Amino acid sequence: MYGGKAGKALLDIGIRVGDRIKVTSGEGSFEGVLMPKPDSGEKDAIVIKLKNGYNIGIKFTEDMKIMKVGSAESFSFPRSSMKFGKGLPKIGLVYTGGTIGSKIDYMTGGVHMLTKPEELLYEVGELTEIAEVHVDDLMSVASEDISHVEWAMIAKAVADAFEEGARGVVITHGTDTMHYTSAALSFMLSDLQGPVVLTGAQRSSDRGSSDAFMNLICAASLAARSEIAEVGIAMHMDTSDKYCGFIRGTKARKMHTSARDAFRPINNRFIARIGYSGNIEYLDGYKKAGKGARTKATVKFEPRIAMVKTYPNSDPGILDYHIGKGVKGIIIEGTGLGHAPVSTKHKEYNWMDAMKRAVDAGCLLGITSQCINGRVNGSVYRNARIIADAGAVYCEDMLTEVAYVKLGFLLAHHRKEEAARLLRVNMAGEITDRTETGGVDGAFDAQ
Amino acid sequence: MRNKEHYKKIGFMCGLEIHQRLATERKLFCACSASMQEHAPVGRIERRQRAVAGELGAVDVSTAFESARKRRFYYNIFRESSCLVDTDEEPPHGVNMEAVGIAMRIASSLDARIPYEIEPMRKEVVDGSDPSAFQRSMMVGYDGSIEVSGRRIPIPSIFLEEESSGIESSSKDEVVYNLDRLGIPLIEIDTDPVIETPEEAKEVARRIGLILRLSGKVQRGIGSIRQDVNVSIGKGSRVEIKGFQELGSMDEIIENEVERQEKLVAIREVLLRRHARVGTPIDVTGVFEGTGARIIKEKLAEGGIVVAVKLSGFGGLVGTEISKGLRLGTEISDYAKSAGVKGIIHSDENLSGSYGIASEEAEWIVRDLGVGPDDAFILIADEKERCYRAIALAVRRAELALEGVPQETRGIDQRLHVTRFLRPIPGGSRMYPETDAVPIGAAEAMEGVMMERIDPSKIMKNLEKELKNAQLSEQMLWSSSLQLYNQILARTGADPVVVAATLLEKFREMKRDGIQVERIGDDAIMKVFELYSSGRITKAAIETIMRRIPSDAYEVESAVRELSLERIGKAELKKIISEFRKAGVKDIKREVMTKYRLNVDGRELDDIIG
Repeated sequence: MYGGKAGKALLDIGIRVGDRIKVTSGEGSFEGVLMPKPDSGEKDAIVIKLKNGYNIGIKFTEDMKIMKVGSAESFSFPRSSMKFGKGLPKIGLVYTGGTIGSKIDYMTGGVHMLTKPEELLYEVGELTEIAEVHVDDLMSVASEDISHVEWAMIAKAVADAFEEGARGVVITHGTDTMHYTSAALSFMLSDLQGPVVLTGAQRSSDRGSSDAFMNLICAASLAARSEIAEVGIAMHMDTSDKYCGFIRGTKARKMHTSARDAFRPINNRFIARIGYSGNIEYLDGYKKAGKGARTKATVKFEPRIAMVKTYPNSDPGILDYHIGKGVKGIIIEGTGLGHAPVSTKHKEYNWMDAMKRAVDAGCLLGITSQCINGRVNGSVYRNARIIADAGAVYCEDMLTEVAYVKLGFLLAHHRKEEAARLLRVNMAGEITDRTETGGVDGAFDAQ
Repeated sequence: MRNKEHYKKIGFMCGLEIHQRLATERKLFCACSASMQEHAPVGRIERRQRAVAGELGAVDVSTAFESARKRRFYYNIFRESSCLVDTDEEPPHGVNMEAVGIAMRIASSLDARIPYEIEPMRKEVVDGSDPSAFQRSMMVGYDGSIEVSGRRIPIPSIFLEEESSGIESSSKDEVVYNLDRLGIPLIEIDTDPVIETPEEAKEVARRIGLILRLSGKVQRGIGSIRQDVNVSIGKGSRVEIKGFQELGSMDEIIENEVERQEKLVAIREVLLRRHARVGTPIDVTGVFEGTGARIIKEKLAEGGIVVAVKLSGFGGLVGTEISKGLRLGTEISDYAKSAGVKGIIHSDENLSGSYGIASEEAEWIVRDLGVGPDDAFILIADEKERCYRAIALAVRRAELALEGVPQETRGIDQRLHVTRFLRPIPGGSRMYPETDAVPIGAAEAMEGVMMERIDPSKIMKNLEKELKNAQLSEQMLWSSSLQLYNQILARTGADPVVVAATLLEKFREMKRDGIQVERIGDDAIMKVFELYSSGRITKAAIETIMRRIPSDAYEVESAVRELSLERIGKAELKKIISEFRKAGVKDIKREVMTKYRLNVDGRELDDIIG
């Protein structure tokens, strides 16, 4: 951790981070625990945790006296043991990592992923009264690192949990790409027996103020008691620790970098509202399990697909780049109703020819909108008609991210023509045939 | 009267923690306004916090205590002075370097050394006063000291931290906090516990307060400075007294606290001689069936229960006064109250007179619990769960009497000048690095910062030069108005003597007349002197305007208009005089002053009349 002369001096005396040391220099005499060097700050500073709990950075000098007075104490998390109430519904908890499963190291202040998900349950004693929770410690991955390989693993884990008798499944997940995973699971899981609830946290669970506790309680309550047989996300409905909202997996989007209520339903309502005490209110229609339903995971995915965006001065060469890489499909996030610059007299910014080349190369093009809210339409303006005529599919009121995931799922199972047809047909709630009046913030949503 | 020798003999130890809000434009870790000038919140959010096990699986006593209270926390949101950083929904922005600069200057003026690198930390907070459940804090100085009456008092550390939220209201089930105060830069100055007498504590606090004010960069007004005092005696243990807002009664309160601790030690000795112990709570609801005791009757009607516990060997001691108006029973009751009950009933009280408990009822309890002549008992009536939580806390407090003085954080009863239990003293707060904020290199932070030593004697000399009056200068030096005085001079160029006389003498007179001078806005005061200095009003008009308690510049302007306080200029004055002469008025000066006292400058009048 410590580089340069300070690092060498510490190494020579055999001092490791965590050791109790005494340092004397022109700045004074300090005794405390040697802390890891922060990534930023003065290069030659040695950081010590003093008896009063505060850290201090002391300048390393050649003539400084450093003494080791004690060795590092080992550090471990509390053991957890869970006893569930009798006769409770059985639910699965698939642990995948993310902030909800991270803990602070009180010494360094750094955040670690939990190695044992039980530690998370330990902090949320209420769960033992909601359900008999069976933990599947699947992986510990930050959500930005998750790929279609992990989607497949999660989908299988969910199917396994149902197979083993769970009536619902909770998946703890990092929040950044949770809506991609929820979309992927929506397509990969069919004939669902019960609710599949993704949840996470914007603040790590070692903090008394974390949103993880309520999110987990609400998700578990839904998995344990709801008849919804859909994949969705349950996170804070607003900034208060009062309700979680359940959002359909194909209609959810992370709309804020850091707020608790980051996940919003887009072109859709919250399906349900779950209170801190676990009571559920239904706010919109949902799918129930069919008779004798048996959850099936179909996990094949075509990863050779891409997502691009048009904007003023955007270079259509990006399409040629992807064609050159052999991609099978591209979602183009256009402007407004789903427009791209195809009539501009500036040849270098005109996407028309590149789009034709992509279609000719066998690539499936889908069009969505940067507006996020609303529906695309390929027949209102001339520019859009040109695009549609070229063979691009207008993706209705589907979110770009969802269209992207759906495209990969379709291309893994169907030939291009069939995939193009299915892209604009609703499969898992990703397309609705009517959009309710209510503005972009769901102003008329029941609160 | 206790003297220095007495305090030495009883092992008196006392140290101070002084907290002062800094006057910066923005908060410490975000760009919100730090002025708390918004009146109404724009919304309210609800949050819950829970005790999270520490690295050793243990939960701190005060954390557990707060958790046992199971309170809900609400936070008022303000448009300009709270943001996502305050609601724990956004990582902190870079540290406010203006605040760091002010803190470093104060630290070095207290002869402290400034760390080579300042490390921002998180300090766990359990009472809900911070939505993030921690407070950001950093050590900006160490090894300091201050000389007070010829003695050096060590100041081992100085911190710069975030102010907590202000409490809007609080009850047994919930607390409403205001987020406009959260995150305002606050400097904390700690002394070693070497203070020898209560008077000295007051003196040290006064002296540190002076240095803070003389920095010219601190907030004024109620609550902007708070003193915590740690007090213990040899046979006692550390008690932290929170919330001194004015120094006047500090010594008296500390004296009363010492007396309380001495009495508790004395009670302990009696209890040990009697082999006292505390029994197990028993449900005695049955005894009070059809009772005439009003308090109990009401609780039973609501479906509550009555619980009693025997205190063997406590007879007569529960009712012993330990501090003005406070008995051991009050202490036990204060613990119980934190569970939400109204209080306790104990056997050293007049049960029939005060509560209407029939003598047979009391006898039943005496028999049920086996209470002997040296014993006592306590009763609590309330809803079942609350009742058991309360009695457990009461039992805990009674048991602590066997140990003498419990370690507690105590508040102040402003009327009786005694301390009252608030909560158990927290163990060393859990602290860990604020990894979302970068460490601060002190050398770089000091570049371009005014680091000139805050020197009271130098400032006194300047004041004497300005005011040419030793007494007024001395008053101004120690006054909380000094900062404002300097700002007025710098901005308006008004006559220093007029400004000082107004802020000190005139305001004091007005206060005596029942005028709430503290409600006059700084902005308004500034405006008054601006008008005076630019010749738009006369000196005599200043007080008239101030007596209207204007809160801002706008109200000052309208006062001038409504009361016709515009100064009469030289040309017009000449005209008035010549008209009076024409009319044959004899005592022109007197006539003018009677008619235009507030509009005419007396000296100017003299000049013209000649």
